[in-house]
Amino acid sequence: MKRTNAYISGLLLVATMATSCGKDFLKEDPSVGVSVDGAILNESNMVEALAGTYRILDNYYLFGRNTLVWGDLLGDNTYISASNSGRLLPYNNYTYVSNNAENLQQWSQSYFAILQANRVIATKLPESNNVNQFKAEAYTLRALLYLNLVNYYAKPATVFPDADGVPVVTVPTNIGGALIKPARAKVSEVYDQIISDLNTAFTIMPETSSTLHANNTNFITKYAIKALQARAYLYRGDYENAKSAALAVVEKGGYTLAATQAAFNSYWGSNVARADKLETIFEINNSTTANNGQEGIDWMYSRTNFGDVLVTDDTYALYAATDIRRNLIVQAPRGTNTVNYINKYQNTANADRDEVKLLRYAEVLLTLSESYYRLKDEGNARLYLNMVAQKRDPSLVAYTFTGDELFNAIITERRKELAFEGLRFFDLKRLNVDFTRQNMGAKAYTSFENVKKTDTHLQLPIPELETANNPNVSPNPGY
Amino acid sequence: MDYRIHIENGLRISRLAKMAAVCSVVAGTLAASTNAYASAIRSASPLSYTVMSVSGIVKDAAGTPMPGVVVAVAGTSQAAVTDDQGRYHFNQVPDGATLVFKMLGYVTIERPADKNVINVTLQQDVRTLNEVVVKDGYRVTTVAASTSAIGSVNSKVMENKPFATFGQTLQGQIAGLSAPTTSGQPGAALDIRIRGLGSLSLNSNPLIVIDGMIVNSGKLGYNMTTANALSGLNQNDIESIDVLKDAAATALYGSRGSTGVIIITTKRGKSGKTQVRVDVEKGFSSQMAPPAAGRPLSGPQYAELFREALKNGGATQADIDSKAESYGLNSGKYYDWYDLVTRQGQQQQYNVSFNGGTEKTKIFGSAGYYNQEATTIGADLKRISGLFNFDHELNKRMTLSAGINVSNVGQNTPTSTNYSSNPTWASRALRPFQRPYNDDGSINSNTQGETNFSSIYNPLWIVKNDKKYLSETRLLGNIKLKWNIWDKLNYTSYFSSDYNTLEETSFFNSTMGEYAGQKGRSKNYYVRYFNWLTRNQFDYRYDFKGVENFYATAAVGYEAQRSKEYLLAADGIGFPAAHDGLTALTNAATPVGTYGQYSNYSFVTLYGLLDVNYRNRFAINSSIRRDGSSRFAANNKYANFYSIGGTWNVHQEEFFKQQHILSFLKLRSSYGTTGNANLGNYDWVPQASYGATFGYAGLNGQQYNVIGNIDLRWETAKKFDVGADFGFANDRFMLTVDYYRNNIDGLIRQVPTSYTTGFGAVNQNLGAMMNKGWEFTLKGDVVRYNDFTWYTNFNLAMNRNEITRLPANTPVLNNLYYLKEGYNYSTYYMKEYAGADPENGDPLYYTDGTHSSKTNNIANAQYVVLDRQAIPKYTGGFNNVFSYKGITLGVDFTYNLGYWVSSNQDVYFTNGSNYLYNKYQYIYDNRWTHQGQETYVPKFTTKSDNSVSTYRLYKGDHIRLKNISLGYDFKNINIIRQWGVNKLYVYGRATNLHTWTFDDRLPFDPEVSFGGADSQGMLQFKTYTLGINVGF
Repeated sequence: MKRTNAYISGLLLVATMATSCGKDFLKEDPSVGVSVDGAILNESNMVEALAGTYRILDNYYLFGRNTLVWGDLLGDNTYISASNSGRLLPYNNYTYVSNNAENLQQWSQSYFAILQANRVIATKLPESNNVNQFKAEAYTLRALLYLNLVNYYAKPATVFPDADGVPVVTVPTNIGGALIKPARAKVSEVYDQIISDLNTAFTIMPETSSTLHANNTNFITKYAIKALQARAYLYRGDYENAKSAALAVVEKGGYTLAATQAAFNSYWGSNVARADKLETIFEINNSTTANNGQEGIDWMYSRTNFGDVLVTDDTYALYAATDIRRNLIVQAPRGTNTVNYINKYQNTANADRDEVKLLRYAEVLLTLSESYYRLKDEGNARLYLNMVAQKRDPSLVAYTFTGDELFNAIITERRKELAFEGLRFFDLKRLNVDFTRQNMGAKAYTSFENVKKTDTHLQLPIPELETANNPNVSPNPGY
Repeated sequence: MDYRIHIENGLRISRLAKMAAVCSVVAGTLAASTNAYASAIRSASPLSYTVMSVSGIVKDAAGTPMPGVVVAVAGTSQAAVTDDQGRYHFNQVPDGATLVFKMLGYVTIERPADKNVINVTLQQDVRTLNEVVVKDGYRVTTVAASTSAIGSVNSKVMENKPFATFGQTLQGQIAGLSAPTTSGQPGAALDIRIRGLGSLSLNSNPLIVIDGMIVNSGKLGYNMTTANALSGLNQNDIESIDVLKDAAATALYGSRGSTGVIIITTKRGKSGKTQVRVDVEKGFSSQMAPPAAGRPLSGPQYAELFREALKNGGATQADIDSKAESYGLNSGKYYDWYDLVTRQGQQQQYNVSFNGGTEKTKIFGSAGYYNQEATTIGADLKRISGLFNFDHELNKRMTLSAGINVSNVGQNTPTSTNYSSNPTWASRALRPFQRPYNDDGSINSNTQGETNFSSIYNPLWIVKNDKKYLSETRLLGNIKLKWNIWDKLNYTSYFSSDYNTLEETSFFNSTMGEYAGQKGRSKNYYVRYFNWLTRNQFDYRYDFKGVENFYATAAVGYEAQRSKEYLLAADGIGFPAAHDGLTALTNAATPVGTYGQYSNYSFVTLYGLLDVNYRNRFAINSSIRRDGSSRFAANNKYANFYSIGGTWNVHQEEFFKQQHILSFLKLRSSYGTTGNANLGNYDWVPQASYGATFGYAGLNGQQYNVIGNIDLRWETAKKFDVGADFGFANDRFMLTVDYYRNNIDGLIRQVPTSYTTGFGAVNQNLGAMMNKGWEFTLKGDVVRYNDFTWYTNFNLAMNRNEITRLPANTPVLNNLYYLKEGYNYSTYYMKEYAGADPENGDPLYYTDGTHSSKTNNIANAQYVVLDRQAIPKYTGGFNNVFSYKGITLGVDFTYNLGYWVSSNQDVYFTNGSNYLYNKYQYIYDNRWTHQGQETYVPKFTTKSDNSVSTYRLYKGDHIRLKNISLGYDFKNINIIRQWGVNKLYVYGRATNLHTWTFDDRLPFDPEVSFGGADSQGMLQFKTYTLGINVGF
């Protein structure tokens, strides 16, 4: 009996040993992550990876705040109040340096998002409408990120196409390796990549949308691709193509401007994505559960929150009293002064916060107008200019300008229409002009008034950690 | 006395022991020659030989027959070895000759051969008992055959120590092992280093093996910063601890042996009369006051500095007066916060064990209760533990052993790192004028006003109302079958499982504290580890024909281990303020988060051992091991490790007899490779993750957010060791000397990457460093005079660390240290402070390392590579037992010399700009106050600079009187035997009685972490206990 027991226990132990000889014994997978090589196995995974990419765009270091705030602050629309929360101060004064943390984040989060987009693009799932659509969205987001990077970190393509742009990485790190040290591509090469990505995206984007995610302004749609491409061509100074892309949106996109003041007000008061093609082409979702809290762009602007970033008096003065857009600026006291608060983000008190608008139909119309002007078709230029201007100011008599006056009217309309949406600085750069940032005196934190077109600070510094870790990237001059 | 025989059950081992005994015949007779031989000559008539037969039984003190004892007839070549029943027999012994009974680990006895039956009882030679058998987890060898550097301590050292974890007892016992107690929290996790820093990025703690099981050790919980996975182990259940240091021993653990291995063996039963033992110890703990330099200031002293800081900082008198008023300086009410957060703690432990059995079945069982209150309020530990070990001979060829160890630890732990709730921090930082109690005597919980608690919380309130509790339940079991398949072939099958659960509950009250703003918070963590290991090993012995005692032993084995961790956690805020008893998480108004995840690892191993022994003169040990681990990618999953060691027992040689100083001399050396796989279970995996912060527009979101590295490998150490063991006075005491070089390659470092990859750094195997050093141990009865013996264990270790390779462009400034090839990893790199300017009291700094000029602007001072390091150059212990007729006096010292310490938070307690915090006494005593004053401490002002410099670097050298005990053994008093008691030992003990330090400015206890930094951990304390051990 004893002997039997012994043999049984011996056998049990041998059996235990045998189970551990299995081939998979040493294979352990994490429970809070999936090996990246097997992370996208089907279309649903693709949507998830795409959602992860969109979410990075909403990061407050990117389009959730800094990218857009800088776009006006570095330009001539806004300034930081003397009474402030301490955020982004160097960007009020043009005193940012190469180890500035926000600047590093702008750079690193952009590439982090590009990494995610690259991963979706590199997916090797069999071609289908869904797969094509998700890849098209990823291509478009990648283009958006590169367009943003090349405009912040490089000289304008309109003047310096051969200047240093930014490194172009199109392969995800799990394939390309962690030790790559890419050099900066030329500005024109970065634009080539952007245009090519958008062409690919437009080509493969199916006419009918996938049902795997919502079909609304929170996601890139077929004519959002063209709208972004119109912007890219315009920034590059390729007006023929800018015109074609913009015209495609106008003719086939089906977008409209708000017809009435009530509709306009209701449009800006809304905090949800749209499916009615009114005004917005693409905007980043901020929901009850996924938003930037007090670090969002809305808190920086809203009178009832930080309200650090204010509208210069010059900018406010651009709007006629009858311009319905003037309601998007609120004059109210801050301490002993009366200042102009931005009111494009009206839902800071709601759990579901404002979407962040990145592409609007009005921009496409004004791009079209400018392109026609550049192509010497002033009639069409006036047509599309007035289409926007008269919608926004019902009492405006249609512009009849020609020549430089017309051009200035287009640029000013663009400034008024897209103010506080982060695009003014890029316009100033591509126009290659000296400009004045109004000195707001005691109302302002400090002031840096006159910006020469040669100022090296018009290009943000390549982050110190990038130039240190990657010797192939040359720093921007002046830092 | 309750000494235990050290004979393991199982055929191979008893055979080995027998071998060792036989082999020592030659040495034994000759070593004894000076006395026995001479007396034999004297007493035996050279002319007339009468011969007689002599036989008898040799037993140990417990009356158990002892096999393997060498019995020699002095002056002749006759020798015998006792059989399994302890019997010996000689046919022809010259009348009047002397019989010498000798066995390693026992006191040698000589008896005149004056009758036919001579039964003897051998007393254990306690002092060298642990030298007899060395265990490395895979084989058991004798000292003679071992080629390894292994340090051992036995049960005598471990038993009845008022320390909650065994690591505290180990400190100072073994050369080259360092285990500083950095927190006074009973049951706090302890970092152990064997032969210096084993890794830069990975865990450097040694592998811990309990009865063959490789356990999960260290800090296993999530919420407690100081919980120790092994605090459930009752030290009274430990038979021995063997510390493996060199390659010959640690290479057996392959990929996990690089940082050393600690083998813990629990007590097992032995045959013979059942013995019951009861140990009771009770006492109290009292504060171990900080050094005089670091006492917080009294109220009047603080008030003086407060005003002085403002005045020197340029404040107007009106300002000073109004501030002094609002901060309560004029109130006359001031308190000693150090006294308020400390107390006298209680301390007790009870252990009951029994042990006994028959030839075939042996059992050991124990139950223990341990309760310790720290001297810091709110900190305590309670442990109940049980051990049951069982050995049963199934038949002549098979032995089954099993053991189960159960424990529960309940531990209350005040916050230790987050300053604001940490009582230690509070005792140093709170102003004496902050009021602990309201006028009605209740605890002050007001967070408004300068005499209340607007930033640092009232520790009395926090301790009373917050909870940080850990309940750890552990079940460690093993079963082992040994099967002697045929004569020289043995098979051992082993299985062990370690089931460990940690329930951590924390509660933060809604009135004052970290989460008062959220109306209180509770976090609950449930962590479960299930870890199993199986090992199957064949052992074979081959005797070379024609040469006696020339044999080889070989073993091959296969091992597999898997550990699974499961975490379930929940977190909620919003607690009813009016019911301070309602702390359970269920009461929370708002859930904050829920977490569930697991984390697993597995190892498989194929190993082989080959040992050759030539008459115990020469021996070679070698091992080879192939490890596979889940912690690496497919192409790096497997790696090989090997070792070879050789020894020469010089005392076996003829020429050795020419001298009479040494009784034993052994030279040994080993070389081999080991690894360190202490990295995270999934660190290598490039991962895409999901989570609430990745989702978008209601969709689940996935991001590639862990860069991983599929090329990550083990860190590998090439270890070389050469050592010698010298025995003196018949091996009564031994001197062991070791020199080692440990070349660690493939150190994992974070290598910065281009951010265009989406990541900022990637882990790579790119660094290398060298640890080399000397170790000395003098151990044994250095004095034995009549009934007086002085046993000592003096050990000294000197380790030098040197970085030999780093990734390109590694910045040299590494926190406080200079990180560069050719330098010790913990070399301080700081600006040098040069004292206060006698003219104006400004702090002065040397502009550079030449000390040629000084500046009062720290920006103009250069960083200097200092000849100071954070890790002690000399570490060790000096442990003594003086015995005289049953009276035993134990005096143990530990020491750490040649290092410097600092504290990140020191700036609050030294600098005038932080005048709202209390200050160290030395600041008050030595600050510059008048022109011409030469002093170290600059003028006390709110405008002082907070930059790091050598101003706040202190010499950490210290010698600690760790343990002093005085006991009396009543064994020789007949009356107690009549009560059925065969052992009665009574003792008193004190720990941490005194610490000698060598820096007048040192403000805190210098026993700090290996980084040289005090981190406001809980204060250590002294214990005073009385104990009684009773054996039946």
